[in-house]
Amino acid sequence: MKDKSGVTQQVPKAMQKVADAAVGLDDQGRRNFLTRGLQVSGAALGTAVAGGVLASGENLPPNVPSWMRSLGPGVVSTPYGLPSKYESDVVRRNVPWLTADSVSSISFSPLHELKGILTPNGLVFERYHAGVPTIDPKQHRLMVHGMVNNPMTFTMEDLRRMPSTSVIRFIECPANGGMEWKGAQMEALQFTHGMLSCCEWTGVMLSTLLEEVGVDPKGKWILAEGADGAGMSRSIPMEKALDDSMLVYAQNGEALRPEQGYPLRLLNPGWEGNTSIKWLRRLEVSDKPWHHREETSKYTDLMSNGKARKFSWVQESNSVITQPCPEKGLMKKGRVEIEGLAWSGRGRITRVDVSVDGGINWQRAPLKGEVLPKCLTRFSLPWEWNGEPALLQSRSVDETGYVQPTLAQLREVRGTNSIYHKNSIHTWRVAKTGGVTNVQID
Amino acid sequence: MFKSTNYLAFILLLVALSGCGTEKKAAINQQKSLASLSQIELRIGGTPHKIDSTKEGYYNVGTPATPEEIAGWDIDIRPDGTGLPPGSGSAADGEDMYQAKCASCHGVFGEGSGRWPKLAGGFGTLSSDRPDKTVGSYWPYASTLWDYIHRAMPFTQPQSLSNDEVYALTAYVLYMNDIIDEDLTLNAQNLASVEMPNKDGFFIDTRPDSTNTLCMSNCRDPDSIKVTWDASDLGVTPVSHMNQGDEGDEGNEDVQIKSGKAVNQEGLRVYNTACGVCHNSGVAGAPTLLDNSADWQKRASQGTEVVIRHAIEGYSGDKGMMPAKGGQMHLSDEEVKAAVMHMLTTAGVERAN
Repeated sequence: MKDKSGVTQQVPKAMQKVADAAVGLDDQGRRNFLTRGLQVSGAALGTAVAGGVLASGENLPPNVPSWMRSLGPGVVSTPYGLPSKYESDVVRRNVPWLTADSVSSISFSPLHELKGILTPNGLVFERYHAGVPTIDPKQHRLMVHGMVNNPMTFTMEDLRRMPSTSVIRFIECPANGGMEWKGAQMEALQFTHGMLSCCEWTGVMLSTLLEEVGVDPKGKWILAEGADGAGMSRSIPMEKALDDSMLVYAQNGEALRPEQGYPLRLLNPGWEGNTSIKWLRRLEVSDKPWHHREETSKYTDLMSNGKARKFSWVQESNSVITQPCPEKGLMKKGRVEIEGLAWSGRGRITRVDVSVDGGINWQRAPLKGEVLPKCLTRFSLPWEWNGEPALLQSRSVDETGYVQPTLAQLREVRGTNSIYHKNSIHTWRVAKTGGVTNVQID
Repeated sequence: MFKSTNYLAFILLLVALSGCGTEKKAAINQQKSLASLSQIELRIGGTPHKIDSTKEGYYNVGTPATPEEIAGWDIDIRPDGTGLPPGSGSAADGEDMYQAKCASCHGVFGEGSGRWPKLAGGFGTLSSDRPDKTVGSYWPYASTLWDYIHRAMPFTQPQSLSNDEVYALTAYVLYMNDIIDEDLTLNAQNLASVEMPNKDGFFIDTRPDSTNTLCMSNCRDPDSIKVTWDASDLGVTPVSHMNQGDEGDEGNEDVQIKSGKAVNQEGLRVYNTACGVCHNSGVAGAPTLLDNSADWQKRASQGTEVVIRHAIEGYSGDKGMMPAKGGQMHLSDEEVKAAVMHMLTTAGVERAN
């Protein structure tokens, strides 16, 4: 077990007993329980440490826990609230060898720890090309020019004075899952699917801003450009801009986090995350696309014949089982809830099916909670696990009728070198021990 | 703007007051106000296709952007050369600057260092198992190179280069790819006419491109299902947070628990500490564990001893160069051998059997 500083600690036998007692495990279960690093163990062990008593179980029934016999910190002792210290393992993580430097890299949201459909602001996955700029909002400007009637600059105050809209939408990097075209190599849900987050975004409809400046009818494309050291730039077609693109300044009720583009970002709902330019400083209207680096050299999908798709913006329907998963194996036989996330860049999820036998037979898994367009959607299915090995899969359908494909189907059409937009049905293998691994099947 | 704002205020007032006044009147007012509200929503978030974006000035916000302000920020270049500023430079002008400012990441010959992007070569590889997407082999427009160098390079000092320097570096990268001659001076007039080898290599997205069905039972032959990959056999992702005591014996035991079979622990350890940095991602032509199993078979068919000797002594092949012990000279021969066996086992040979 590791603490926050990364120091490996031995788990004393007595603590194991505390943990076992907390969840009623037998020896086999305890071994899985400890080796899988299940979160409940963190809480139980942490409890013992917090009480300053490692062995006695002093905080467990029938004893009165120490925190009932003392006072805690008062209001505004933490003016901006933080998660419990026992949740220190719920963090973004990266895979260092994926990229040359953390300044131009990506991190993954801990999907295995998230509940519901909203990603807390501190856990939204990060993608930078030149690190996070530190922008003074008072000195930030959005310039809108090109084929417009009135080239203008807008302050953040200007934008906040315009009518606002709030929507809950996912943002996904199109490279999510892209390491697995040729084979399964990511050993955790966080790394197979964690380039994915979902927030409530608040800001101004881009169409409203375009109305404000007036657009030349010949203007068909918009260059969006960020104020980071990469000057990140993408060409956005006018049709999308007038449909549901937004200029966003808030997420989940507070100002955008610097990692997410503070003070202003573009949001192109349902489209690959890279088009939702962060730290947005400029919009230029033109009659043609720009073909900049991130829409030619990158974010194009190379097919097996050597030709590449460009302007492949939509994140097609996808799903993954989040429980169980490699980070959270099954602890004992009996009824468990298979739970997962489904999403589509084309609209609402209408249906999810689950298979426990590698796709031979499927069952409908009811959707639960909010079902919103271009938004993470929860599904759930009760399952009697009899202790035998299983191959778990989920298959989503969206409102266009599109059915999430198998990996074989995608490879058939695209080969294995397209990096982006791998939205195929995912397989978890459940071993007899209850351990879960990321596998691919033929 | 004022109309809308007043409406909103009015609605909010009505909503706030509706519980206090006579219920009927409030209900009527509320109905009215809901209609107004939906009209406003139409403007701000409803069916935006109906918005006439050619009209302007509803909210009276923003400041006219002056030509000087626009000139300072309007840095983008387009395929037809629009946006290119005055200035010029040739590959000959750019060579020393490239070596001083670019080569540490991109390599002396544009071959790329570590995970930093390779800039040159890769021609004819786009339909191969290991496509090499460089400026020369992949980029469709020369204008993109000028635009990108100017806005984002050098990596640690973006927008620090003069226009002449950007022209010279653009020319040098094109020259490294044998696309232009060393002496050709690029400028705003001729850059767009540089024809890139892969200019016709792109087509508009054709998705949706898959047709899965909603089969519910007996969808496939149970005997046909075979697990071809288990990520836990590779050991290439940082999963210490998932495992207790991963550096000790229990960690080793855990690997076995997860994958359900024994793993060459010594090989896995050496691989992760010394080999993965190149072989995980395939830099400099290093074969990855995800490469075609036939390729691995070919290597293994020389005899395991030969493969091990190549790894210990170094080897140059068609796809790249393996330095002796991967440059990690502190490794013993036995350690290298263990890593090679781990790679052969996980990457191809065992799977192919």
